[in-house]
Amino acid sequence: MKAKGIKLCAAFCAAALSAGLLAGNPAIAREKKDPDTLTVANVYDAKTLDPFGTNDVASSGAMLHIYNRLVKLNDKDEVVGDLAEKIEQVDDLTYRFYLRKGVKFHNGEELKASDVVFSLKRSLAPSSGAVKHIVGAIDPDSIVALDDYTVEVKTLFPFAAFLPSMTHMGGGAILNEKAVTEAGDNYGMNPVGTGPFKLVEWNRGDKMVMERFEDYFGEKPAYKTLIIRAIPEGTNRTIELESGNVDIAYQITTNDVSRVEANKELKLLRLIDNSTTYLGFNCEKAPFDDVRVRQAITMALPTPQIIKAVLRGVGAPAVGPIAPNVKYANPDLKPMAYDVDKAKALLAEAGYPDGFKASIWTNDKKARIDIATIAQNQLKKIGVEVDIQVLEWGAYLEGLTQKKHDMFIVGWTCQTPDPDMAVFAPFHSSMKGNNNFTFYGDDEVDALLEKGRVTPDGPERQQVYYDIQDALRERGPWVFLYNDEQIIGTQDYVKGFTVSPFGFHDLSKVTFDGK
Amino acid sequence: MFKYIFKRVLMLVPVLIGVTFIVFSMLYITPGDPARMVLGEQAPQESVDELRQEMGLNDPFFVQFGRYVYKAVVHGDIGRSYITKRPVVQEIWAAFPVTLKLSAMAMIIAMIVGIPCGIVSAIKQYSLFDNVVTVFAMIGISMPVFWLGILLILLFSVRLGWVPPSGFDSVSTMILPALTLGAQSVAIITRMTRSSMLEVIRQDYIRTVRAKGQRERVVIWKHALGNALIPVITISGIQFGILLGGAVLTELIFSIPGVGRLMVESIKMRDFPVVQGGVLFIAVAFCVVNLLVDLVYAWLDPRIKAQYVS
Repeated sequence: MKAKGIKLCAAFCAAALSAGLLAGNPAIAREKKDPDTLTVANVYDAKTLDPFGTNDVASSGAMLHIYNRLVKLNDKDEVVGDLAEKIEQVDDLTYRFYLRKGVKFHNGEELKASDVVFSLKRSLAPSSGAVKHIVGAIDPDSIVALDDYTVEVKTLFPFAAFLPSMTHMGGGAILNEKAVTEAGDNYGMNPVGTGPFKLVEWNRGDKMVMERFEDYFGEKPAYKTLIIRAIPEGTNRTIELESGNVDIAYQITTNDVSRVEANKELKLLRLIDNSTTYLGFNCEKAPFDDVRVRQAITMALPTPQIIKAVLRGVGAPAVGPIAPNVKYANPDLKPMAYDVDKAKALLAEAGYPDGFKASIWTNDKKARIDIATIAQNQLKKIGVEVDIQVLEWGAYLEGLTQKKHDMFIVGWTCQTPDPDMAVFAPFHSSMKGNNNFTFYGDDEVDALLEKGRVTPDGPERQQVYYDIQDALRERGPWVFLYNDEQIIGTQDYVKGFTVSPFGFHDLSKVTFDGK
Repeated sequence: MFKYIFKRVLMLVPVLIGVTFIVFSMLYITPGDPARMVLGEQAPQESVDELRQEMGLNDPFFVQFGRYVYKAVVHGDIGRSYITKRPVVQEIWAAFPVTLKLSAMAMIIAMIVGIPCGIVSAIKQYSLFDNVVTVFAMIGISMPVFWLGILLILLFSVRLGWVPPSGFDSVSTMILPALTLGAQSVAIITRMTRSSMLEVIRQDYIRTVRAKGQRERVVIWKHALGNALIPVITISGIQFGILLGGAVLTELIFSIPGVGRLMVESIKMRDFPVVQGGVLFIAVAFCVVNLLVDLVYAWLDPRIKAQYVS
């Protein structure tokens, strides 16, 4: 009797298991359960909601809905007023912002010029190092409130990229002075902004719940509650999307792209973003201090093929240091041709006819390790023996800062729409060991970079950045690898969602079709 | 008995000091600058240097360690997170109930499944059931957690659509993680119950009971089980402690915001105070669980109690 029971039970389990494995995806009736809530699956949780305390994509994505800046980008990537109704450039250095009247913070306070002065000064304080490279051009002593609704700011030098850089989510955010002072160290968990949503609940590592701010000065969102969940496992994000538990899922992994595409109830959105992944050389260390060696290695790598093999259709091979969606990126820049013989000749000319040994550093990102592995094989052809070292991010950064590396693979993201951000920090000699991890710097490039900053927008400025891109391609501190891609899956009924090349996206315009 | 408890609590002190020292020194020699991690790779070096100074990272090791211990002992303050600026205690306290719930569910599954299976296996040694259980236990012990977790997600979330693959706010979302986390414990407890039971039913007193003509059911449930369970309780306690500290992989696979995931994220971001606090916390939890186990043990087995009561 008992044995029979066990057998029956086993048979049942086996049947259930095989039925489960054989059955296709069950048809899940897709209807928007709650038209007042938008649920988004992100990869990471925000670090903090203090805009000057961090500069990571997840935090910026959340803050985008809580705060406003003085200026913002419109659909055509032009700088337009946000909290500032009007912007006036008084002279080369001086900018005057006229604030909108009647703008309310989430705590009920009205936006005053004093809040703007407070925010700008705070963004320049030492503890705000995370955004200092964005707003560093502001002269800290020059920020004054002319009256309750007018603020005047001077830059330290004539800076063409000043207004674009003020559109940066973190650096440009305007905070409420009273709220910051009252919350003290707890401010990062209790943000107060003027944005379309206010934070109501933050379950760290899990989800963030925001509610529509009814006193928002701009166009109010069509739905009431915004939930941003952190789901680190890529497959889980896709599954949650497929099962209808989330409306939008960020960073669909390469494996899942075709699954989302094939599903009629889902949409897949793709956009090349502003990041550039590169293989950099330590240009102050032999043999990489020799431009011929750098060129030889660049020539010995069939980069587009490598990228194709590694990324399997995601992203695009990078042609230069400026990502394609950033202003003045030169789409016609010719990459250095793949030529092993010429590479060998260049190496011999530089005094390394038999090649040499070196290492490539990378962090644990799979695509980077794969690229390093292929590069290792390719470089054998010109006698360069490469040893790959995979480092954990903290150790990696420290090693780079201390100039212990030979070659390394890492990415750089242009966080403003201006090319200055794309090239000044990683190539100017004053930035060595800071963001310039190749320790590259020559007078000519320095001069061009400095000129680019101060030249007003127009054909002349475009030429400067074209020259910079040419020079960098020729002198080769970077082997340009690829520009990454934002791949986002949404439910079919999600409308009004646009992908941003910055990697974080405005959710306040989303509406639900027919619901 | 109180003396025993007191002694055990007192023993916590050297354990905590040891743990603190080891973790503190390991974090100290870990490459990667916390100030740099806080500010991001794009922050200028001056800001990083200033922040290092502010965080006290430039002080010698023993000064930093002394300051930490002093604050912890005198003020009960184990620091604030570098990243969120929240007190570490709060950070851990927010994540702990989740881990506790997960571990407790896993443990309950392990005991509900493991103990009966072990008993039946022992009684019917070398039967088909025993063999099947042995095979499953071997699989349970040797299957990596992440693999099992992904298989379960594939079957129950993707194929069958019965439960959501991530989150942790309803019973349906907790089942898979609890199964995943509990699988190994099920196996261990099953094996332990089986061997302990086998040992007990071969004892002389069991033979005596049987010889007196007692029914088999009474022999097993009344005379054998109590004694057989004593080592099982011990191993369950240790398992529970391990689950509390070791739920990391399960939490990562299922996106559960527990202590394990908090620790991994904090290590990645070099958020030393949280890592330090988390390890201390797990150490304390482990010790407390063990203390409770020993108390239950003493309660179950009068011989042990006798050692302390005199």
